[in-house]
Amino acid sequence: MSREYKVGLFIICTTVIIFLALLYLAREKGFFTTVSTFTLSSKTGEGFTEGMPVVFSGFNIGKVHALELNDKGIVLIKIKIPQRHVKWIKADSSFVLYRPLIGAARIVVTTDNLGSPPMPENKIPEVAIINDINDAIEKVQPLLEKITQIAENLERLSRKVDTMAAKTDEQVFGKDGTLSNINKILKDVAGKLEKLNATVDNINKISKEASEGMKDFRTLRSDIDDAVKALDDVASKIDTILSKKKETEIKVP
Amino acid sequence: MTFLENIGHLTVKLMKSFAETIYFAGKVLYRIFQPSTYNSATRTVLVDQIYFTSVQILPVFIATSVIFGSLLIGIVFQLLKDLGLTQFIGNVLMGLIVTELSPFFTVLLITLRSGSAINAEMAVMKVNREIKTLETFHIDVVNYLLVPRVINGIISLVLLSTLFSIVLMSSGILFSRIIFSMSIDVYSNILLNSANFSDIVIALVKCACFGFFITLIPIHFGLRASHELTSVPIVVSRGMVSVFTAILIIEVLSLITKLM
Repeated sequence: MSREYKVGLFIICTTVIIFLALLYLAREKGFFTTVSTFTLSSKTGEGFTEGMPVVFSGFNIGKVHALELNDKGIVLIKIKIPQRHVKWIKADSSFVLYRPLIGAARIVVTTDNLGSPPMPENKIPEVAIINDINDAIEKVQPLLEKITQIAENLERLSRKVDTMAAKTDEQVFGKDGTLSNINKILKDVAGKLEKLNATVDNINKISKEASEGMKDFRTLRSDIDDAVKALDDVASKIDTILSKKKETEIKVP
Repeated sequence: MTFLENIGHLTVKLMKSFAETIYFAGKVLYRIFQPSTYNSATRTVLVDQIYFTSVQILPVFIATSVIFGSLLIGIVFQLLKDLGLTQFIGNVLMGLIVTELSPFFTVLLITLRSGSAINAEMAVMKVNREIKTLETFHIDVVNYLLVPRVINGIISLVLLSTLFSIVLMSSGILFSRIIFSMSIDVYSNILLNSANFSDIVIALVKCACFGFFITLIPIHFGLRASHELTSVPIVVSRGMVSVFTAILIIEVLSLITKLM
């Protein structure tokens, strides 16, 4: 392969790649599509920027081309919409500048009736403004006031708790406070418990003796059981004798 | 000589050098747009120069681009994920890496390889009185030596920088898949939305400017060499410092243009 051939191949290949990439980008960016320009108005230009997207149902359908201030002090916003998206812009379409708390601002187009006639290019509808940042601040304002109020109440409450704690401290730990009284009562109880110790000893002795007595009772009971058993035997023998004898009289020795 | 005189002398010297370079650039630029400049000898030199600067370096350049570009894209994507800035992946890739880093990386590579070589070549030709010989034979030095090298610089920088960008974006497909589990469609859509036509044009113009100056300045300084061999390293080092200054100036100017 000659040097000229290699150089030619390199230049042609890379040039074609660059050219195709630029062509693709240009096509995707809508350089080859015809666009329609619509004009919107607003009392303030705040929040509008050139190149800002125009969105319909969440899809980018165009962008802000230019911002102008007319003689009456009204801001004119020129938007460019590619021909394929013009069908979404109708005479009764509403335009809202949406400035979210997070993310880029955009103009949102809403068309309730897609069957209505297309918007004439000389019509200048006004753009409503929805500002999430200001709305959020407005919503947060009363909340902040309430939080301040709660903080003040908490401070007052804390002061009261402090006073109560000081009083409680005196009542509990003071000279005539609850704690010293409890100590006295505990000392009395301790003295009485010492006296009770002797009584408990006596009770223990009685209980020991009673348990020993119980042992005697058991022996006695077994003796009685034996005697009763012997008497039963005697009685049964007597019954046997009586049944055999004709004479009902028995001579007891 | 007082301190103030020293500063004044240095400033005058710098301004003179700057003016000379601009005048030289104007002269070469004028010749570039002159049809009479181009003859078979010029074309042959141009083909040779493009071959040495772009085609010969191509395998190394692509390998370096793949390794460096993939690592860079991987690190940047991971960083974006860690910082929770995934939504800015397109802006970072197009605005920073493709339009800023690719030309800068390419210009550094070409300056180190070809800029220094051109500077030394011109200085040695001057020392060996080859320039004088060409003039003796009524061969236009600007047409024969300067214009092909400068055009080569412009073409090589633009094409190699584009190649580097393509390698980077291809690496991006792989890393967006690995790190963000992103499909090619989503990735290309993000790139398209972030791609700004004007930024790409500025990047291409910047590459052309880089190419023009990284060949012109070494030639200019190389031709300043005296007829002694010891002057070669002096003019080469001065030329390379001037080239890096020019790169920084062009980079700053392009950033200012983008900000405007």
